[in-house]
Amino acid sequence: MVALLGRGNELITLDGVSKRYPNGTDALRDVDLEIDSGDFVFLVGSSGAGKSSLIRLLIREELPSVGRVIVDGQDVVRMRRSAVPKLRRRVGVVFQDFKLLPRKTVAENVGFALLVTGHSGEEVREETARALALVGLSQRREHFPDQLSGGEKQRTAIARALVSRPKILIADEPTGNLDPVTSWEIIKLLVRVNELGTTMLMATHNAEIVNALRRRVVHLDHGMVVRDEREGQYAA
Amino acid sequence: MRRLEYIATTAAQGFWRNPVMSLASTFTVGLMLLLFAFFLATDRGLQAAVGVLESKVEVALFLEDDARVSDVLGLRARIEADPAVSHVDYITKDQAMARLVDIAARRPDIQIVDTSTNPLQNSLEIKLAHAQDAPRLTAALRDEIGKGVVSDVVDNPQVVDKLLTITRVLSIGGLAVLGMMLIVALFVIVNTIRIAVHARRDEIEIMKLVGATDWFVRWPFILEGMLVGALGAVAATTVVLLAAGPVMNAMVSFIEILPLSFGTTFVWQLVGSVFALALAVGGGGAMLSVRTHLAK
Repeated sequence: MVALLGRGNELITLDGVSKRYPNGTDALRDVDLEIDSGDFVFLVGSSGAGKSSLIRLLIREELPSVGRVIVDGQDVVRMRRSAVPKLRRRVGVVFQDFKLLPRKTVAENVGFALLVTGHSGEEVREETARALALVGLSQRREHFPDQLSGGEKQRTAIARALVSRPKILIADEPTGNLDPVTSWEIIKLLVRVNELGTTMLMATHNAEIVNALRRRVVHLDHGMVVRDEREGQYAA
Repeated sequence: MRRLEYIATTAAQGFWRNPVMSLASTFTVGLMLLLFAFFLATDRGLQAAVGVLESKVEVALFLEDDARVSDVLGLRARIEADPAVSHVDYITKDQAMARLVDIAARRPDIQIVDTSTNPLQNSLEIKLAHAQDAPRLTAALRDEIGKGVVSDVVDNPQVVDKLLTITRVLSIGGLAVLGMMLIVALFVIVNTIRIAVHARRDEIEIMKLVGATDWFVRWPFILEGMLVGALGAVAATTVVLLAAGPVMNAMVSFIEILPLSFGTTFVWQLVGSVFALALAVGGGGAMLSVRTHLAK
């Protein structure tokens, strides 16, 4: 484990990060970015701007071609493969397509994250109940994903991402498949999660949400950070 | 405990989710293990046969009538010092005659008409510890002919030579066939597990996403591979144990001189080896299959 010194409050640091894929595509170009603990950051940009590539670097699904990626004090690039699972337990991720297991109930989907990381049955039960209460799905715990609305599916995915109490929650287009009303419910939930202390990084190109919340906005264009504002706006 | 339950349940579900492929794998592994068991039993039988026949191999050294006792004793000591030699008996010409008379008494086709003179020679009968050394020893002893002690050297290693050749051919051929079967079994298991991995790819993706270790992802598949192997081993040992009695009876009546009783210890060794190979092939095949997926 490599502990790194910075200003002291940053949870995510990207230092001169570039990512070029084997087919020659430059997904990220010389990106410098710091996200402090407790921040709520929108990562905006059109499709192909590099948002998903940046997220994949943070959970070490990909390695940068150049530069350093520091998450919660650990150099993700130099990290041993065996340390990756522990990193991912500290970084919850939510996707546009929910990624729920259709043959498991809501509670089983949520508890799955703890079950496969070595928690006891009692811990799985308690933490699952807590996460479901947080997202307002306690009453739907025995339902299967195909019995849920889109919003409920996304809340289930958020509960699964939060059940191991991560420091960071990354949401990759979490409202991409949802209607406007449900999208707002999800955003309100994510704001509440952030207020409870979890750092939020949300990739989106939903300008309405970004502009209404007036949080920090990092704008990516062709793999480069073209704008980084504390109370930013976004014109999609 | 919940993790173990999850791993075991997932492995069993994986096996039954695709029963045709799982049973085909089990059948292939069973066939390979049957061949392995047959190979072990045959090898064991032939080794025993070689041992028995080796103990019967001897080289006879006929001595000159006027050879000095000290020279004979010196030669005997040198022969006994050879590691290939089990022991050496000195047979006088009178003992040789007594044997001949004894044999003649039991064989109507042999008749001794005159026992007043003894044309036989004193000899050294050399029992060998390792039959394969007979040609070397015989050649060395033949060099002694004409030096005043040894008049002739007679050996009979052909039977053992042939048996050793058969053993070698069977060992090499058996290993080659076994090797090929092993590759086929591995190939089938790798593909069976690959299908299981594909069926659970979403679950694996989520497991990796939420921080499950590679080993936690691997174990259900390894267990499923071992389950295929173990079921194949059960099938193979059942066939072996059911067939062992009739086959051995047939072989004993066919080759009467061979001691084809393996004993309980060997049977347990055989069963243990079959299961060990089954689990290794099943688990190993699954590891190979999952490794490709986890490396992504």
